[in-house]
Amino acid sequence: MVSLARKNLFHDRIRFGITLAGVAFAVTLILLQVGLFLGMLDKATVSIRKSNVDIWIVGKNTPNIDFGKPFPDTAFLRARGLPGVERADNAILQFINIQLPTGATENAQVYGLADPVFWGLPWKVEIGRAHELSRGYNLIMDRSAVRRFGAFEVGEYREVGGRRFRIIGRSAEAESFTTTPVVFMDFDNAQSLVEQLRGQTTYVLVKVVPGSDPEQVAARLRPMFPHNDVHTRDEWATRSRGYWIKSTGIGMSMGVTVFLGVLVGVVIVGQTLYTSAIENIRQFGTVKAIGGSNWDIYSILGEQALIAAVLGFLLGAGASYAVRPAMATLHLTVLLSPEFSGVVFVGTVTMCLAAALFSFRRVALIDPALVFRG
Amino acid sequence: MKKVLEARMVRKIFVEGAQRVEVLRGVSLDVSAGEIVSLEGPSGSGKTTLLSIMGCILTPSAGEIQIGGRQISGDEKALREARRTSIGFVFQQFNLFPALTARENIIYALSIKGRKGVAALLEADRVIDAVGLADRRDFLPRDLSGGQKQRVAIARALAGSPEVILADEPTANLDSTVGVQILDLFRNLAKSENKGLIIVTHDPKVRRVADRVVGIADGLLLQEAHAA
Ligand SMILES: Nc1ncnc2c1ncn2[C@@H]1O[C@H](COP(=O)(O)OP(=O)(O)OP(=O)(O)O)[C@@H](O)[C@H]1O
Ligand SMILES: [Mg+2]
Repeated sequence: MVSLARKNLFHDRIRFGITLAGVAFAVTLILLQVGLFLGMLDKATVSIRKSNVDIWIVGKNTPNIDFGKPFPDTAFLRARGLPGVERADNAILQFINIQLPTGATENAQVYGLADPVFWGLPWKVEIGRAHELSRGYNLIMDRSAVRRFGAFEVGEYREVGGRRFRIIGRSAEAESFTTTPVVFMDFDNAQSLVEQLRGQTTYVLVKVVPGSDPEQVAARLRPMFPHNDVHTRDEWATRSRGYWIKSTGIGMSMGVTVFLGVLVGVVIVGQTLYTSAIENIRQFGTVKAIGGSNWDIYSILGEQALIAAVLGFLLGAGASYAVRPAMATLHLTVLLSPEFSGVVFVGTVTMCLAAALFSFRRVALIDPALVFRG
Repeated sequence: MKKVLEARMVRKIFVEGAQRVEVLRGVSLDVSAGEIVSLEGPSGSGKTTLLSIMGCILTPSAGEIQIGGRQISGDEKALREARRTSIGFVFQQFNLFPALTARENIIYALSIKGRKGVAALLEADRVIDAVGLADRRDFLPRDLSGGQKQRVAIARALAGSPEVILADEPTANLDSTVGVQILDLFRNLAKSENKGLIIVTHDPKVRRVADRVVGIADGLLLQEAHAA
């Protein structure tokens, strides 16, 4: 069948190009910007999601994993006795000064674990063996630390909290929302570095017996820890992520970006469709004169909007996926899931159809008698 | 002869602000199957207005329109249905869809008229053949001469077999020789397809092909005379 909508669209290539560019721009803006936020948020919870911890017992009102709050390091013994608990250990997460070879001082996000291999912290070790962390003043540094701490080699020494540590390995993927580089060490070493941590821990990690439900175990743990919060893995990840969304205004910022993207898209698509509707008034008048209804004309505009949406989305999504490797070299993680892309696609179609609505009123007013005028 | 389209005592008053202009002051005109009527008159006499009302594009302020003996009510849906099924238009400005080829122009018009698929393709080829443009059917309007464009427009008007064809100054944008060819084509088609045809014109050549010439001035028909 002959599609007047499609033929007219391709007949005016320049205008169609502008429309596509507008849609593609909006799509790229939203995908990249929101993808960047999602990438950052992903880091806020990566150690919660990747580690082997089922339940986190945290200091009362601890807002997120990076801001651990001290409480007595004997608490974990209470958890150990509970049926359904396979294992419970102390763990410290603490910002501690690190001395760089340049002489500069930086902050490190120190993870102190009694059994790093069991807990999967670190979960991905590229060089070295995590169980050797407890054999002296050893540490494993994440590869992402290069950006802030400079290049490092296994076998080198770094001063952390005033004590010399030997780098015995390198982990990967262990990053934090704050971008503070992550280093792993033995629990006792971490505890000894900070005065306020004497006799204290910041977390109790709990592993449940295979087959038992972490939700139920957590529910039983709560009354035993009245001065702590007890979170399952998902609750803790949600809370940590939610904290950053709220406290940094990221949610607001994402909202503004999406709003701007949609605005740009609607304005450009609406504007080009509208001007094309005005320029094609004689054609639409002819459609009416030969018996076409307003709906016949709406469907022309709707089809054009739909074509612009689909092609514009493909262009924009293609561009977004294409620049991802380049952004990765700048240490910018753009998270583009199929689900998220799907949501943006539906949004694009909705946006373009909404933009077409602006022209509907105008074409409804077209008087077919204009076909007789010169 | 069977009357296919009839205007009875049609009046049309345009209201522009405080001004009321009575453009048609009680006009009755009809056309029968196979008949060609030439409607002539000075500029501003109401020719296009009368054609628009008979073509169900405008509604009369008073009077009525009958198609095939049936009165057409004034509501938009009935008017549109009448345009869709009973009337073909040919315009001075051709009004082809510039992005569509000759054949696509006709197929698209047929789809508006509710004809789709193979039947529409066959009908399109039939009318293109009828206007003698078989070898130009895949040309865009910009690649056709004025006379060829008007042939496409006539084919588009014929498509779907309406009873009546209404043409407003169909030769005004064509040179004299081409105008004669178009008028001959009108004549042949009106006779071979048995259409009622009203041609609004200033062009004296139209009289050559008309069965009847009707004059209009100041919104009133003057005389009815049989063409020579
Ligand atoms: N929509 C309208 N509103 C107001 N006045 C109109 C309208 N349409 C036509 N008229 C007026 O009605 C009169 C007749 O117009 P019409 O177009 O029917 O004349 P015509 O005989 O076709 O003239 P021409 O030979 O120049 O095409 C003119 O004075 C015109 O200004
Ligand atoms: Mg006129």
